Formats: sequence, C-alpha cells, structure tokens
Amino acid sequence: MGLVVLTCLILISSLNLQHEDKEDSPIKEFYEEHHEEAGPDNLVEAILLDYRAYDTFGEVMVLYIAITGVLILGKKRKEGSE
Amino acid sequence: MSSIVVKTAGRALAPFILIYGVYVTLFGSWSPGGGFQGGVLLASGIMLILITHSQKEIQRLAQDIDWFETFGAFVFLIVGLLGLLLGGAFFSNLWPGSPTMFIILDIVISLKVFAGIVALSIFFFGVEVKTS
Repeated sequence: MGLVVLTCLILISSLNLQHEDKEDSPIKEFYEEHHEEAGPDNLVEAILLDYRAYDTFGEVMVLYIAITGVLILGKKRKEGSE
Repeated sequence: MSSIVVKTAGRALAPFILIYGVYVTLFGSWSPGGGFQGGVLLASGIMLILITHSQKEIQRLAQDIDWFETFGAFVFLIVGLLGLLLGGAFFSNLWPGSPTMFIILDIVISLKVFAGIVALSIFFFGVEVKTS
C-alpha cells in the first residue's frame, strides 16, 4: 500500500518536471571548449579530476571513512562476542 | 558447498572481468570509465572468486588488503599537496595538456576503491567462515 502511494507520488511529481533548455549554459560551453587544455579527451574525466578534483577527494575520503568504520565496528563486535 | 558448474563458470569469468576493470581504469582519459568504475569492476572479479570458491588463501591475501586503501587515499592526498606546492593550488594540474596526472589519479582511486570493496566483501562473507 505504501509502495503504491509512493509510486503515485513519484509519478505526480515527475509530471511537474519540465525539460528546460540548458543548451546555452555558459559553463557547458566553457567545459566543451577548454577541456582539451586540461588533458584528457573524456570530458567527464576532466571535470572529475581537474576542475572538481577537490570534490573527488571528498568522495574518496567518504568511502574511506565508511569502510574503515564498518571494519572497526565489526572487529569490536567480534571481540565482544568471544 | 558450491557446485562444480558454479566453480568453473566463476573461474572462467573472473579473469575477463579483472582485465576489463584494468582497461576501464587505464583508459579513463579516452573512453567512458575512470577510477571508481574500474575499481568496482576489479572488486567484482575478486568477489566472484570469493563467492564461488571461498578459499582460505584468498581470505588470507585479503587480510592485508586494507593497507592498499590507506595507500590509495594517501597518494591521492600527496598528489593534491604536490599541486599545492608546485602549481599554487590544491589539485592543480601538474602536466596541463597531457593525461599523465589523470592516469596516476585513476590508478590510485582504482586501487583504493578495489581494496575497500574487497575488504568489505571479505568482511561480510568471511566472518561466518572464520568463526566456524
């Protein structure tokens, strides 16, 4: 029942999404024209590791902290049970 | 525990998955892909062997694999600090116009994600084997 309600809500809210034309966005033109200066042919790679490298660093650290936390918690639980 | 069909299929498929992971990692600058995707592909290859075989050698090998995760995160930080020292900004591109830095960062991120996911899967698959 809750799943049906959730699906209906998502469908209704997705009807309100309009396809806005963002083709004349200046940041897109900048990336398309200048990513060759950064290095790679892959535009996504250029954004991910050059323009937004600090963001990627945060992403890496989030994964690192999450996995370290899971391993530490599991180790503690195992020692406690023994 | 697992049948011979599952074991043979896992052993046959895992090298191709690993090679594809290495390809996605190294060619992230020219084709769709990158460090995160390549690392997860590599980890899925190891996970396939883990699920189908669950041998003790793999688990012992994976005991120390979380060092690679720390290594990856550390080298990523070192590259960023080198950019700060030599280029004047955090994560500034040391070789503009060439994909050198992207390949280094891709390999480092791939190692890190690979080690992290493998350590997690070892942890979740391996607890039951260790205690029994």
